[in-house]
Amino acid sequence: MARVKITEYSAKRLLLGDTYSGVALSSTSRISFPKDAPLVVKVDQGIKKRMKQGLVAVDIAPQKIAGQLKEWEKRGFSSFLVEELVPHEQSEEQYLSLERVRTGIRLLHARVGGIDIEEHPESLTQSMLTADSIPAISNDTGLPETFLQRLLAVFVQQHFSFLEINPLVVREDTVYLLDAAVLVDSAAQFFVRDGWTDADITEASAAHAAEATISELQKTTPASLKLKVLNPNGSIFFLLSGGGGSIVAADEAALKGMGSEIGNYGEYSGGPTREETYLYAKEVLALLLASKAKKKTLVIAGGVANFTDVKTTFAGIEDALSETAESLRRDGVRVFVRRGGPNEKEGLSHMKEFLTKEGLLGVVYGSSTAITEAVDDAVATL
Amino acid sequence: MTILESIRAEQQGIVVSGNHPKIVQSILDFDYLSGNEQSILALVTSGRKSQKFFWGTKEILLPCYKNFADIPTALHGRVQFLLNVQSGRRAAESTTAFFSVFPDAFGAHIFAENVPEAHATDLIASYGGSKIIAGPSGVGLLVPGALKLGAIGGVDASQIVSNTLLTKGSVAVVSTSGGMTGELIHAVSKAGKRLSFAFCIGGDRFPVSSLTEVLSLAEEDPDTKGIAYFGELGGVDEYEIVELIRSKKLTKPVVAYIAGIIDESFDTHVQFGHAKALVSHKDESARAKREALRSVGVMAADSFPEFLEALESLPESAGDDPVVDISPLLARRASILSTREVLNVHEVPQFVENGKIVPTETSFMSSAVGGMLGKELTSPISKAFFEAVGKLLIDHGGHVSGAVTSMITARAGKDLVSSLSAGLLTIGPRFGGAINDAARLWMRGVAQNASAVSFVEETTKEGNLILGIGHKKYRVGMPDPRVASIEAFTNLLEHSKYFSFARSVEAVTTGKNGSLILNVDGAIAALTLDILSECEGYSQKELEILADAEFFNALFVLPRSAGFMAHIIEQKRNDEGLFRLPDSLLFTRPDELS
Repeated sequence: MARVKITEYSAKRLLLGDTYSGVALSSTSRISFPKDAPLVVKVDQGIKKRMKQGLVAVDIAPQKIAGQLKEWEKRGFSSFLVEELVPHEQSEEQYLSLERVRTGIRLLHARVGGIDIEEHPESLTQSMLTADSIPAISNDTGLPETFLQRLLAVFVQQHFSFLEINPLVVREDTVYLLDAAVLVDSAAQFFVRDGWTDADITEASAAHAAEATISELQKTTPASLKLKVLNPNGSIFFLLSGGGGSIVAADEAALKGMGSEIGNYGEYSGGPTREETYLYAKEVLALLLASKAKKKTLVIAGGVANFTDVKTTFAGIEDALSETAESLRRDGVRVFVRRGGPNEKEGLSHMKEFLTKEGLLGVVYGSSTAITEAVDDAVATL
Repeated sequence: MTILESIRAEQQGIVVSGNHPKIVQSILDFDYLSGNEQSILALVTSGRKSQKFFWGTKEILLPCYKNFADIPTALHGRVQFLLNVQSGRRAAESTTAFFSVFPDAFGAHIFAENVPEAHATDLIASYGGSKIIAGPSGVGLLVPGALKLGAIGGVDASQIVSNTLLTKGSVAVVSTSGGMTGELIHAVSKAGKRLSFAFCIGGDRFPVSSLTEVLSLAEEDPDTKGIAYFGELGGVDEYEIVELIRSKKLTKPVVAYIAGIIDESFDTHVQFGHAKALVSHKDESARAKREALRSVGVMAADSFPEFLEALESLPESAGDDPVVDISPLLARRASILSTREVLNVHEVPQFVENGKIVPTETSFMSSAVGGMLGKELTSPISKAFFEAVGKLLIDHGGHVSGAVTSMITARAGKDLVSSLSAGLLTIGPRFGGAINDAARLWMRGVAQNASAVSFVEETTKEGNLILGIGHKKYRVGMPDPRVASIEAFTNLLEHSKYFSFARSVEAVTTGKNGSLILNVDGAIAALTLDILSECEGYSQKELEILADAEFFNALFVLPRSAGFMAHIIEQKRNDEGLFRLPDSLLFTRPDELS
């Protein structure tokens, strides 16, 4: 997976340690807050532009918190954050972000913060954050040195990829992180000690059950298995292989004006076994069968593989297809195939024989036909 | 000379870190079909000392070492590249270890996805600009006919030929995506062009060799006349191309496809397959990058079919494809165990020539047999005979169950005595343990003064095999040379009644089936009985006591222990790691699975 978001609560705990007084809670939490304390309550699920969507309640009375959470829960949210309100002027709001780039950790800072920073890129100053550059940066930005040191240490030790604090309020040596978003490097989880875990990672939207199944499967194999549900009632479903080839195939459908009809995007690559491919294909076929579209089609496409064995992976796909062949025939689904790579000839001829026997044959192309043709042929049937 | 020119001019050497047999084999096949020497010099991996691969159709053992520092200095001058197939966790550490031992090496390919970003940026800080490093992630670097560093171009011998990877040409393929590198290599070949080189940058966020560095390689390479580029949404690498062209640092024609228009179909930006394939700023979209490339004259296609067509416009490549026959490579089948012949089983020595004992200096078997009998052998005939038996039975190749079991046990990491014991435990009624039972049979036949016909009838009627008779390979007209060799001892004996009886039994059995000949167990049993009774004065009763004590089997166990140990020591020396039967050689009956 690459960069993943952790909750604001987790981010602030890591950055501020025990001095952080925020409380993470769900609607069933039984916590009583002091009656006179002004509070802020927010949905904490990695969602951007929460203010605009009404997912932040500022200066809320403690007795109203439960009702607010219930309301958000009805909208499908389940993870929340309560913090003390920091009363401040808008003019105090600053912007700060750190991002890991090729040459190190890049710091962006603006004295005018707030929610519309993207519209004022000219106000940003840029520098590379290192232990040596901290005094100079502190001097230029007015951010306390100790705060910058702390940020750098946590960023490195916790394998952060991106950190954004907006707004940030600075009063002398005290800084207030009014809103913080952190992306961590999921590939580095092994190297993180006393820090974030899977439990801190948040999903912006509730994953589809099929996506959750595949991401669980992904954890158990060195191969790459990815699935994203796009339009549950789409008409084109994809079993794609290879990170790049899969986008080329999906692009072709979009270029044919069928972008909104694409049911799923995803890919299997890196030499999955027959069993892993079967489990992956099974999820995609279930999505296809659940779609309410009148006409539906399945495209099995990929580039000319370097080492993923066509015969082995196709055997797994056939295992899944044979389980659902009857339903697929009933829905009038035809299967369009294009694939190349190791054991291409055997894999393709077996697939063709199989699809013919099952009455599901659209086309079966090998590496001598362009990757996009199978997509074109499939689109033509819709 | 640029690095690409050096690669084309000189034999390259690769060290592999980690273990990915398919990729390693594909590199050896590429070298073999290119007419080069083996580029892979050593593997750095734990749990074994060597690993078997094919060189053409012949099997070879490649040496394995625990650390880069263990690689013999004799190889050092030949190591130019690292192929790193370690996991993402260990990729950076092992790459650094490689360059600390081989500081002058040209570069590396890091295969793993999921290398932590901080590790990748550390590698960039250490090696960026000075080494060529393809990845993290992707399929590596290919220079036709000269170097295959990774899975690039395929791992199947037929892909090496169908993708024309052996022919030098003038189109450089550059891609972030491994799969699309393969697709572009194929497309370039199909468009009638040939490659000058292909470089997969990798789909990770921080590839060590950047797009700019790879395009500079292409620009400086005299063989490269044009560039085919595949990129994706996410990241801003393509603006590097724009900048290079603007500043005239890249002047060769570029044909490009930037995938990811599909992202426009969704409400929010989607994370695609590669770590980098996510739009987080407007200028990272496929459309924005295409337009930027077009503004400096790059042929950036709107669709993939249009891109394929545009490839035709790249400068023509010269050169004919070499004609190679890969069918022997496709038909090869790997052995499952490797060993040597402890004894030459095809050339059996003569122990008795012209009725005279061929003098021999060794006396180990005579002393050992004397020890087992409880008295020293007195006759020179007995001494020569037991020496001969010892020599013949040391080994009969690595195929037999005892040798196989010894070797597998040794490969499981067990010690010499355990491995030897495991091999010895297979000795019994079906393997090596027949001498004793054959001796009993011949004694019974001679004692009863039975006719061979009725003896055979009687023995087989009870459903028993005649031990000492029958061979899987040898038959009438093609006698076992070992039997022929020791049969010469009968010339030194007066009666040899046991051996004569055994031969008369053979005459009956071969009348039924040509393979039912007197085998080496049967011949040794008969001759041992004859020699002990004629030369050492053993009575019938004394011989029976010896049979009860399994003395006759000891004649096999003793020399074969040396053979097993020879196989065990050899396994330890080459140590190919834990043995496992490949699926193709194991039949699991489906009805027993449920």
